[in-house]
Amino acid sequence: MPEVYHTVSSSVVCCAFNSDRSQLALCPNNEEVHIYVKKGASWSLSKVLKEHTEIINGIDWASESDKIVTCSSDRNAYVWKREGNDWKPTLVLLRMNRAATCVKWSPDENKFAVGCGAKLVSICYFEKENDWWVSKHIKKQINSTVLSVDWHPNNILLATGSCDFKCRIFSAYIKEIESKPSPTSWGSKMNFGACMHEFSNSGGGWVHSVSFSFDGKKVAWVGHDSSISVVDSERDNILLTVKSTYLPFASCTWISSNSIVSVGHDCVPYLFSIDGAGNLTFRDALDKKEKKQSENVFSALNKFRDLDRLGSTKSDRSNTSLNSIHQNAIKGVAIARGTKKDCAVFSTFGMDGKIIDWDLKSLEQSIAGLKIA
Amino acid sequence: MSKNTLSAQFRRVDVDALDENNFNDADADSSTPVGPDISAATRNKAEALKTVLQNPPLANSKDVKDQVFTAVLKVLTSHRSSDIEKSIQGLSQQEIDTLVKYIYRGFAEAKDSSCATLLAWHEKATAAGGLGSIVRVLTSLKTV
Amino acid sequence: MCLQNFSSQVIERHNKPEVEVGSSKELLLTPIIISRNEKERVLIESSINSIRVSIAVKQADEIEKILCHKFMRFMMLRAENFIILRRTPMQDYDISFLITNFHTEMMLKHKLVDFVIHFMEDIDKEISEMKLAVNARARICAEEFLKTF
Repeated sequence: MPEVYHTVSSSVVCCAFNSDRSQLALCPNNEEVHIYVKKGASWSLSKVLKEHTEIINGIDWASESDKIVTCSSDRNAYVWKREGNDWKPTLVLLRMNRAATCVKWSPDENKFAVGCGAKLVSICYFEKENDWWVSKHIKKQINSTVLSVDWHPNNILLATGSCDFKCRIFSAYIKEIESKPSPTSWGSKMNFGACMHEFSNSGGGWVHSVSFSFDGKKVAWVGHDSSISVVDSERDNILLTVKSTYLPFASCTWISSNSIVSVGHDCVPYLFSIDGAGNLTFRDALDKKEKKQSENVFSALNKFRDLDRLGSTKSDRSNTSLNSIHQNAIKGVAIARGTKKDCAVFSTFGMDGKIIDWDLKSLEQSIAGLKIA
Repeated sequence: MSKNTLSAQFRRVDVDALDENNFNDADADSSTPVGPDISAATRNKAEALKTVLQNPPLANSKDVKDQVFTAVLKVLTSHRSSDIEKSIQGLSQQEIDTLVKYIYRGFAEAKDSSCATLLAWHEKATAAGGLGSIVRVLTSLKTV
Repeated sequence: MCLQNFSSQVIERHNKPEVEVGSSKELLLTPIIISRNEKERVLIESSINSIRVSIAVKQADEIEKILCHKFMRFMMLRAENFIILRRTPMQDYDISFLITNFHTEMMLKHKLVDFVIHFMEDIDKEISEMKLAVNARARICAEEFLKTF
């Protein structure tokens, strides 16, 4: 049974957990970062970080080095370092002149990528001499706002999804801080800013979210045309697409080497998987919308109550809640326990202010015929 | 005074539209499938529907699109209401998407007679294609 | 109605409904027109953070035209109270709604959809009722006036 971890009064735009899931940072649809600490079974607000002047679009918590990076529509990003009970912000020189849309720490946590409305991606790394974070821009070929970024496990390659209907893989190799990377299945020449591959979301549809698989050999993305696509670099980069019958997805992540969970405007997580022959198929919805049991005995009373209060007899007009657990669109999904290869629990957060943990083992048991390979 | 001041036409050029970094429609996919073979309409209603939905003329000129659209509309209106469901069952996902695109084009060009049939088609087609096919009508870059 | 927050990529630190600005072609979706006949049409234009729904109401004769025009003007003058109403209608249409991602965050999506549908159903009814009322009043006035002769 999915556990409703927490409810906030307004929509959760972005959120991130720390490494042992005892603390949570989220943005409640304004310019503040709220840090919650787990006390027993519930969460309590411990700190409010106020540095940004516009809505915060992305938060990421580096699990090893315990740093939080936030980026916002005010074209700034800050790296927050813990000092005792407080968090101290460090300004990042992004040199962007439009809003920042998303941010992600690299796997080694020595740099992070920020997507921007100025049609570029900013890769930021720490410069010790001046004690600040500096950035390098990737501009090539990007024709519109970058909506999401995801790192390859080798800390060099970066996948971006943007509003010009394309998913691109760039190299973010920074020679000042790391050694030359070895060739991968996506290519061998990895100069900074080189576009290794470009994939088009055929038929239009902004690419809302991209995700590299655990070994980095596959990349998946979801588009606004209600489709999910996967490219496998070991199978000649053939594009596999499933055009679903649901409302568009907003985010996706791999939960095993063959399965992807995607979430979106339908308020329900969906499971897709690739089989051995390389076919991408839709498996199941992970939240069976159950009709809430209405009190049939008192329906006459309810009818007159509705007539009095709302002036109408149509009882479904007064039904304001949906049958799924999330009551509004889900904005993002993240692995809670486990890795992208073998996830045990994943969490979703949405516009209804709820953060919900989904346990895969219990989902397998409760939904007949579901096997997450 | 130089001769350049005679014409102020350059002031009316829309610089933003000429910006190189802007998204350009021409850069998007430009595959040009040929329109369906209209003359191969068969007696079998379901087969006629399938043939006429093949290779939608997404990138062709307006005349070709109009021609194909009238053919599709003819097939749709000639179906009996009991046949609709059977015909839809025989279609693939992509053909259902194309069908929904034609239905919405039919809605846009108002003709009194076709409205009711189009609504019946719309109901059955969306039952098969779901909300996703309607979203794809909105997001597709090329119109039918 | 799948909308998300989107800061303007043309002007920094601004957040505008992209369907109104219309400057970046890739952010706009294909508009859809649904028409029952030549006179009654609904135009739905969508973008990444906003939707514009424009309705052309059936106006069979002169008096319906005047009534419709007055009724729409009445509502559009009070557009702030309606929240999602646009102050002026689009060209060729009688009334327009503008729904942005901020509205969908504040209010329930399916309720917004119900409201627009409810509105369209009621408009025709209201206008015919008003027409009957106007005709009835005109008849009574004429009778009273002519009684003096």
